Amino acid sequence: MKEQFQELYYKHYKKLFFIPVILVILALSVLVWNYSTTGDIMDKDVSLKGGTTATVYSEIPFENLEQILEERFGEDFIVRDLKEFGSNTKIGTVIEVSNVDGDDLKIAFEEITGLTLDENNFSVEFVGGSLGESFYKQMAIALLLAYILMGIVIFIAFRVPAPSFMVIFAAFADMLCTLAVMDLIGMKLSTAGIAAILLLVGYSVDTDILLTTKLLKRGEGTLFTRLIDSMKTGLTMTATSFVAISIAYFLASSLVLKQMFLIIMIGLMFDVIMTYGMNAGMLIWYLKKKKVEQ
Amino acid sequence: MKKFMSFRIWILIIALILGLIILAPNPWADGIEVVSVDANSDAVSNGLNIGDILLSINDYEINNVGDVDIALASLIYSEQEIKIKTSEDYETYTITNDILFDIDENLTISDSELFVEGSKLLEINGEIIDDYDEFNEIYNELVPKRIIKIVTENENIAYLSREIPKIIVSEEKTSNLIFGLEFTGGTRVLLKPIGEDISEDDINNLIDVLSNRLNVYGLSDIKIRSAEDWDGNKYVLVELAGVTQDEVRDLISQQGKFEAKIGDVVVFNGGNNDIPYVCRDDGTCSGIRSCEDYQDGSVCEFEFSITLSNTAAAKQAELTSQLAVVNEDGRGYLELPLDLYLDGELVDSLRISESLKGQATTQISISGSGTGASQDLAIENAYQEMKSLQTILITGSLPFDIEIAKMDTVSPVMGEIFLNNMLLVAGLAIVAVALVILIRYRKIKFVLPVMGTLICELFLILAFAGLVKWNIDMAAIAGILAAIGTGVDHQIVIIDEAVNGKKGSRMSDRMKRAFFIIFAAFFATVAAMLPLWNAGAGLFRGFALTTIAGATIGVLLTRPAFASFIEAIDEREEEN
Repeated sequence: MKEQFQELYYKHYKKLFFIPVILVILALSVLVWNYSTTGDIMDKDVSLKGGTTATVYSEIPFENLEQILEERFGEDFIVRDLKEFGSNTKIGTVIEVSNVDGDDLKIAFEEITGLTLDENNFSVEFVGGSLGESFYKQMAIALLLAYILMGIVIFIAFRVPAPSFMVIFAAFADMLCTLAVMDLIGMKLSTAGIAAILLLVGYSVDTDILLTTKLLKRGEGTLFTRLIDSMKTGLTMTATSFVAISIAYFLASSLVLKQMFLIIMIGLMFDVIMTYGMNAGMLIWYLKKKKVEQ
Repeated sequence: MKKFMSFRIWILIIALILGLIILAPNPWADGIEVVSVDANSDAVSNGLNIGDILLSINDYEINNVGDVDIALASLIYSEQEIKIKTSEDYETYTITNDILFDIDENLTISDSELFVEGSKLLEINGEIIDDYDEFNEIYNELVPKRIIKIVTENENIAYLSREIPKIIVSEEKTSNLIFGLEFTGGTRVLLKPIGEDISEDDINNLIDVLSNRLNVYGLSDIKIRSAEDWDGNKYVLVELAGVTQDEVRDLISQQGKFEAKIGDVVVFNGGNNDIPYVCRDDGTCSGIRSCEDYQDGSVCEFEFSITLSNTAAAKQAELTSQLAVVNEDGRGYLELPLDLYLDGELVDSLRISESLKGQATTQISISGSGTGASQDLAIENAYQEMKSLQTILITGSLPFDIEIAKMDTVSPVMGEIFLNNMLLVAGLAIVAVALVILIRYRKIKFVLPVMGTLICELFLILAFAGLVKWNIDMAAIAGILAAIGTGVDHQIVIIDEAVNGKKGSRMSDRMKRAFFIIFAAFFATVAAMLPLWNAGAGLFRGFALTTIAGATIGVLLTRPAFASFIEAIDEREEEN
């Protein structure tokens, strides 16, 4: 049984590349398409674009609030409900807008709903436009630098360029696909979202390092059994993280954390494909070629 | 045979004990602690101290901060009108617990906003007062002294007084952990100076003026630090804990450039050089003067006086001497008023009486107003307007104009809900991890060490945060999550190496390989976090720091201990 599976894998593993390669191409086209239509690869929320996010803590439902606010200010508003887990009762309303400041929004909200807002039921976050823009730029650079620095660390650890590059490429592909899915489901990128992507990169690199160590460093068993071993360990790791994060996603009441968890969940799924569909295959290919050369 | 209590486990235990000492947790502390009390009050002279835990005030049980307000409010007498005749005045006014003046044995009045200092008391409510005893008798009839009983954890205080103790309380600390704004509530403002070539000195100067302003305004729980991003932009980050008023935001975002002009010529500016004294907290020269109905609400006028320096007064004299006199309503004024501008906006315009022409007056009275839906609100707004104008006049202008680049305010009520939610999430996530490990390995002996290690790691990260006085905010929580998440991953690597690698190779080799993976991953994580240190004006520093700290604690303390524990378990199993 195991031998058959091994034979089957060795015969066809290069075809497995297709799945991740197609995914990366699709992801790239989504990002490029988004870039050509909106001017950026990602839609950004107010924390990166500048604007105001106000949260009103009240169970009262506000009908057509979005419409009323839009008519009043002539700006695009996003109004969402904040719900508590379990009872699914509403605990608040989140309002996002680009060009209206917190005070004006507060006054308008009080006039529309007749509610009095004070520090006990009202939180507001304001980001200036130029700051949001420079945040975004700097976070993008930070992300790029993070990949470069990680690449250096991994190269020092393994001392072979090709497999080190594969680790970084797998983590990078993971990020591209996650960003593309965010675009597709209409999720906007926030500063917290960028932090989530960095977390994701950490998780993703973990499984890739595990795989590379197991295959590259001489150990017991054949190449294939070592691959299976590392898959078992790696999948346990991913499953544990996934279960813990999804529970956190359903329970967290903060929208910021919820968004972070969702990004990590999406990323972990892609991580399995990238690590075992692409990185593993590329490594086996590399090791076989090296053996032939020797 | 390997011992369970290996060297590495002992190191972890020592670290945990140190952590416990650092955090000094006191989870049962739910008392209400006195954080401030008026030093001259009767309560203090009878033994109440800062740090006391309040149990009750006059039989009102104190269980939360609000109870103290209720208990103190119960001590306020209902309002009554009194008529006071002195050698100089006759006044009718309302009082509650205090007659609003001090008096000595010769019936001489002092410390009053209403009466002339040094005047003699003659009558109260029509009754003639002959001596000090008679005054006390009547005062005691109007506002009787009563027993005030304050029970604290350590003592019972009881005394006779008509004074309401000015006590500020907060919930007793449950540990040395400092929670950030997302959980305690408050305001965080990122300020960006406007202008070119802002130097380090400029920023330090700005921070000095800002902290001075906030202190003069009366806020103590503030954090101010400078921040810089990669583009060389400099920022100042201000954090105000607890509840924050809108006025405070004006206070920090306003440059506060105060100018008094006659025509286009500046007579004097804000700050200590031109205005050595600003009257405040003294009813005789600062206060709300009048209120009237206006549209749907009220408008109240405030007034306070300032004292000019001699040079400023001389300049004013010189300028006024050149002005012509005009007549209005039979009174003579100078042709131009003294206009007061704050950041280019006219706040007050003072007509100058003809008698002041060419005079070096040092006393100037400034007025302004506040509006509100009710008279109480209007008074409060006028009072706050006055307070922030006074503060700006005292502390002078900021060295340059600034803008708010980012501002968050978090409601303290919601902060607490978020914190409880986070604890629930963390607890259930740990249980979920344990379940997955149990399903995968079907051995409870792996599950317990994994859970134990997770909890140790969490505890040590918090202890580290307590040690370096790092705030636990949303960013830090995300960092802790990252550290714990990779922690679980690495424990799985250790278990798998211990269990699966059995055939052939020695345990120490297998652990070496496990730790190769762990260290490579650790350094990769640190490498990924380093660029965040200064990105985005350092707002991600908390995230980067907790992630790195957590990962380091894991690699150096908890994972070696975990590995040695698993090795010991494994060997024992082989022997059976």
